[in-house]
Amino acid sequence: MDTALQREGLHAASNPLGMDGIEFIEYATTKPQALGQVLETMGFHPVARHRSREVLLYRQGDMNVIVNAHVPEVAGANAPGAVPSIAAIALRVRDAASAYRQVLERGGWAVPTHVEVMELNIPAIHGVGSSRIYFVDRYKEFSIYDVDFIPIPGVDPRPPALTGLHFFGAVQYIGVDRSYDWTEFYAELFGFSALPDEERFGILPKGHVLRSPCGSFYLQMIEPEPGQLDIGGSEYFTRIGLGTPDVLASVAALRARGVGFSGSAAVPVSPRGALTDTQLGSVSFELVLDGRS
Amino acid sequence: MSQFTGNIDDFGMDTISLAGPLPAKLQAVRAAGFTQIMLSARDLTGHTDGVDAAVQAVRDSGLRVTGFQVLRDFEGLTGQLREYKIDIAKSMLEMCAAVGSRVLLVCSSTSTHASDDLDVIARDLRRLAMLAVPHGIKVAFEALSWGRTINEFPQAWDVVCRADAPNLGIGLDSFHSFAMKTSLEELELIDPDKIFLVQLADFMWNEIRSVEERINTARHFRVFPGEGVHSEQVADMVLRLDRLGYRGDYSFEVFNDDYQQMRTNVVAERALRSAQWLGETILQRSVPLPGQMRLKAAG
Repeated sequence: MDTALQREGLHAASNPLGMDGIEFIEYATTKPQALGQVLETMGFHPVARHRSREVLLYRQGDMNVIVNAHVPEVAGANAPGAVPSIAAIALRVRDAASAYRQVLERGGWAVPTHVEVMELNIPAIHGVGSSRIYFVDRYKEFSIYDVDFIPIPGVDPRPPALTGLHFFGAVQYIGVDRSYDWTEFYAELFGFSALPDEERFGILPKGHVLRSPCGSFYLQMIEPEPGQLDIGGSEYFTRIGLGTPDVLASVAALRARGVGFSGSAAVPVSPRGALTDTQLGSVSFELVLDGRS
Repeated sequence: MSQFTGNIDDFGMDTISLAGPLPAKLQAVRAAGFTQIMLSARDLTGHTDGVDAAVQAVRDSGLRVTGFQVLRDFEGLTGQLREYKIDIAKSMLEMCAAVGSRVLLVCSSTSTHASDDLDVIARDLRRLAMLAVPHGIKVAFEALSWGRTINEFPQAWDVVCRADAPNLGIGLDSFHSFAMKTSLEELELIDPDKIFLVQLADFMWNEIRSVEERINTARHFRVFPGEGVHSEQVADMVLRLDRLGYRGDYSFEVFNDDYQQMRTNVVAERALRSAQWLGETILQRSVPLPGQMRLKAAG
């Protein structure tokens, strides 16, 4: 086999789904306006409304955040609560149908989706806790939002990102001794790889960090501290990480918009990173120094 | 304070040893002094008020769930049969999670439709393990002594190693080892952290002459450890596991038609005697380790 073909093989193996970043992150809450306010202070703007459900799309730069307040007819684990939770992460992939098939073959757990007339059927699998992982391939020439969402009139559909903010990663709380399970899960299904312990970002160098096969998104998995109570082994995405080329400039801009960064010895505001104060009982954002914008 | 009856915390009963509805079984096991119980899917699906009521009964019992059984004939299949078994596995995993069990027991396939390729078997077990990750469940793969391809624990350990998934390990059952006369020295090759469940049972005869007799004995004539003719081997097995560093649970997997015709508390007392023999006489669980740290009571 010639070298070029070998290289081809290696590339396919390291990014089996053709992953290319994050299309959207979805919150579920019964208080969408309160969460919307928090997102707006973070620089997001509401740009579109779902055709049939109580769902809003917020955007800044390349980041899409969906706020889902839709209560399903049969209330299950996915029914939103008053405290917002990260309900889904949508991965951009080369071919959603093929990615979905591959992931199911490797042990992904299909989630039945309920689609209304003229809506897209976005394939999804179960993620951590009650969250889902979606596969989206329409993000270049036209977007999924063109079909399912109606633009809010008079609003800039593409508001620029504040100080170069972009999706950097997500932090997942996990049970005791579960790091290896989740590392293998993300590696097997999506091609994430574990970073060595000395390679860390931001200000919270805890837990295990996985890098997406496309190199643009990180998952940080944090087990309970020794001595800390592991409450029923509850596992969930706890916050989003936002990359910025200049952390202190982003902190200044966000503070001017009313975002709190209390800081402390354990979580200082530093050129490496900063953590926003928690709003609505669960929502915080971690800023991480990252040159991309 | 009740009289000290020995340290039996490592041992649990299995609902399949007892007659009657689930609440009666839970009550009998609890009353005998056990702290854990092994459940079958049928315990939940057969509850007169449905699965949710059964789950509630288990949670209200205060008993810890040792594990949940049993997914059969899962691995090595193709086409629609393979996908059908994935659906069955998902249903088992959901019930397993609902009752708070951290272990799902999977028995090696007896199906003539299944592949005997160890890598195919390993691939399917790895897929099952990944399905179980979001639920926080470990998969214990056990060699059924009449399994088609995997029928002794060293083979089960081989495919567990091939599958190489963090939440996939081995389940051991003394009955199958004794019935196949598998050397217990083979235990030395197993990583104790990958033993997710040990089931103990004995039986009353020395020789099993055919596969049919093995199946028949396994399903109808097992007895609690210490009641059969392999007491020395049972003791040897738990001591070997203990020396190896295994600190997990032991469940009494005793299928016995006679016990189905006895009062549950009488059967549970037999199980208790077995647990006391293993916990105190064999493993000496109440004897403090030399230099063991003791915490002072809060002043």
